[in-house]
Amino acid sequence: MATLHHDDIYQLMRAPIDMAVLARHVRAPEDGAIVTFDGFVRNQSHNRPTLYLDYEAYESMALAKMQEIGTQLHEKYRIHRVAMVHRLGRLEIGETSVFIAVSAPHRAAAFDACRFAIDTLKRTVPIWKKEYFADGAVWADGELPPAPVATPRAKPAS
Amino acid sequence: MRVLFFGRLKELTGGTEDSAEFADGTTIEQLFALYSARLPELAKYRSSVVPSRNQEFAAWDTPLRSGDEVAFLPPVSGG
Repeated sequence: MATLHHDDIYQLMRAPIDMAVLARHVRAPEDGAIVTFDGFVRNQSHNRPTLYLDYEAYESMALAKMQEIGTQLHEKYRIHRVAMVHRLGRLEIGETSVFIAVSAPHRAAAFDACRFAIDTLKRTVPIWKKEYFADGAVWADGELPPAPVATPRAKPAS
Repeated sequence: MRVLFFGRLKELTGGTEDSAEFADGTTIEQLFALYSARLPELAKYRSSVVPSRNQEFAAWDTPLRSGDEVAFLPPVSGG
């Protein structure tokens, strides 16, 4: 395992996300920039009015994958702290489902890291949303995580 | 062995979290085939599912051991 960054926050939660607290958490005197991403529930999907969303996760793996993204962020970018929180359960229109805050001494790294974080989260973290409409519900079209190809065969004993 | 289904697969399998015993060396592919035999509708999701073993994405031909946790994951849609 790579270095754990103890000042980071990675969390799945059912209560509303307090964005101000998280943004404040990543802020430190040696930094000069914080970039945040606030993903929230849209009122329509493919032009159908959405009533609400319901999120579920493979919680232990999702948290591990979020921490893995954090490790990658620290390896790839000159950043300071990360806060990455995803909500689960029923979310109403306009409620924040995912929030990411990244602090850094300089803005470019914070922008790049925040973008990488949300893009990677959407591809690799096992979380699913079901969209509820007036006339039914559907699982949202998702992305297939990059699956490992076939495992190398063990050498036959000779 | 724990076998977990999520998203639409969870609904399809009745939200089960089976504790099941399989011979050591059974592959994830074979395990999925066993469940598909019991529940034919599962088979049509084979190409859109990614498996994990012990909370890491895994290849379909990964052999399993007792005590493993296997999950079948539909396309993820967090965010």
